[in-house]
Amino acid sequence: MKGAQATLQYLTAQGIDRVFGYPGGAIMPLYDALLDSPVRHYLCRHEQGAAFAAIGYARSTNQVGVCIATSGPGATNLITSLADAKLDSVPLVVITGQVARAAMGTDAFQEVDVLGLSLSICKHSMQVMSPEDLVPSLQHAFRIASEGRPGPVLVDIPKDILLMEVPEFEPEDQGALTLPQPDEQTIEAANQLLDNSQRPVVYVGGGVGMADAVQELRHFIARNNLPAVCTLKGLGSADTDHPGYLGMLGMHGLAAANLAVQGCDLLIAIGARLDDRVTGKLDEFAPHAKLLHLDIDPAEIHKRRQADVSLLGDLKQILPQLTCPQDKTEWLERMATLKAEKALTYSSHSGDGQIHAPSLLRSLSDLAETDAIVTCDVGQHQMWVAQHMLFSHPTCHLSSGGLGTMGFGLPAAIGAQVANPNKQVVAVCGDGSFMMNVQELGTLRRYQMPVKILILDNQRLGMVKQWQELFHEQRYSETDLSDNPEFSRLAQAFDIEAEQIQSAEQVIPALKRMLSHPGPYLLHVRLDHKDNVWPIVPPNTANHQMWEQPR
Amino acid sequence: MNYQIDLLLADQPAVLERVLQTTRYRGFRINQLNMQPTASQLKVSMQVYGKQPINILTTQLHKLYDLASLECQAQQNSTLGRRSLAAQTLPKTA
Repeated sequence: MKGAQATLQYLTAQGIDRVFGYPGGAIMPLYDALLDSPVRHYLCRHEQGAAFAAIGYARSTNQVGVCIATSGPGATNLITSLADAKLDSVPLVVITGQVARAAMGTDAFQEVDVLGLSLSICKHSMQVMSPEDLVPSLQHAFRIASEGRPGPVLVDIPKDILLMEVPEFEPEDQGALTLPQPDEQTIEAANQLLDNSQRPVVYVGGGVGMADAVQELRHFIARNNLPAVCTLKGLGSADTDHPGYLGMLGMHGLAAANLAVQGCDLLIAIGARLDDRVTGKLDEFAPHAKLLHLDIDPAEIHKRRQADVSLLGDLKQILPQLTCPQDKTEWLERMATLKAEKALTYSSHSGDGQIHAPSLLRSLSDLAETDAIVTCDVGQHQMWVAQHMLFSHPTCHLSSGGLGTMGFGLPAAIGAQVANPNKQVVAVCGDGSFMMNVQELGTLRRYQMPVKILILDNQRLGMVKQWQELFHEQRYSETDLSDNPEFSRLAQAFDIEAEQIQSAEQVIPALKRMLSHPGPYLLHVRLDHKDNVWPIVPPNTANHQMWEQPR
Repeated sequence: MNYQIDLLLADQPAVLERVLQTTRYRGFRINQLNMQPTASQLKVSMQVYGKQPINILTTQLHKLYDLASLECQAQQNSTLGRRSLAAQTLPKTA
């Protein structure tokens, strides 16, 4: 069997039946073999889009996403997506073609050292240098991508190896990964911390969803009556109906969430890494709290803040062991009162007739199906989604967190729709971000996937503009996008039905039309460019000193 | 603070680059470096300097899939060994 066929046969054996990619010279043998393979390939219109689609597939299913590209520019176009997957711990196997071994190192046509380029943005990278190593490398790649803290793995395969006979695939028993387990004493120490605390707050990160520990988390919160806050990637993990659910914390966190953390005496970080967007000024983050840190990655423990007790291991196993007999109801009630005091209202903006994104997104949250998947680009609209929409599971909210990659939303939505053909998938895009992977409209047209695109258009690079307004003396440098294309006409060029709205009374009917449309749909929403995201924690400021509204 | 770090690594392509990149990115400067291939492994010894706690670096080096073992000592010979998190026998969970 040739290397190309063996590669696809291995993918099939792994249960991979859908991949994303873009063909080219060095990877042509694999694309030739695809014609005779049960693996379905989705052609995206840029390698970055293909890898984001694989990320959308992976994040909406908690399974490994697969992407294929050619050497040289195909490989370099993947770099941003690989970094995105690394920073958000997304299990990805990315296969790149490489020039034939005899040509390697000669600056051959479309040759680039993708192994070297990928080292710091992948969990692991491999270059297959002998036919015997091809299938074992793939086997290794799938295991590394998904075990422990997930991440992207790159496998670079020279063209001649794809064309050569390779040994038959013999499944190698690699044994189950042994995850670390905290000893009884450490669990006891954690429970002691919990029991001794008067004002505990649970701080939920993306690790909970990736560990498939959503139910364990919800039980832990419910049986101990604990208030909880979520990171951007943690949204959907906690039960939003729980009285102590306070929403997202951090730079654009909700006021109650930030105030709860700043006032707590025990912070229980679960699958979270105390990212700078979460902590604000680190020295003043949760200043009265002890830290109980649960994670699968030992490098995250003590990285940004010394933990008082740390539990290293599988959250699904650890969370059921945590309990505190002491009743925390009074504290929970205080937090519920704070939540009510700081609750967002959606009626105060309705008088001017203009569309306000928070109200629109709350309506979308109410109208969309409970298990709808919402993807985002990056910027103001992304924060409004995080603040104003509610999610039933972390696989329902796909947002580029660590890398903050504009252009993520549309291709991620395509990948999520491929993985979940019967679910509602909505890409909420900014006008700036949408243009970064606008070519993926071609992918939507080709496969007629019913992805809904909601463009929140303020004709600005809104978040940068907001910072220029607030922190750079209103010196607006290169953030005016008032010459945007007419998005609905752009969609129509791809046979995608589209509509434009600009006044508040149009919102509900337009959202209903969009959601009930059987095919792809683009809803272009014109916003006032003066609207900003509130609250905001200014740079080098403690979270409790957030600005809750315009000054 | 100066540290002596001794690594045993699988002799795979780019393994030395991984060590160098990780060390630089995590904020440590290499003052001395020695690399010696054995039958199937690489022995790397390096003296590094950094202001941060050394476990910021060692926990990241532990993540390298080609790493077989790591020993670390502070310059004053107070053996850090694989103390604390770096000291545990950890699977490649991250």
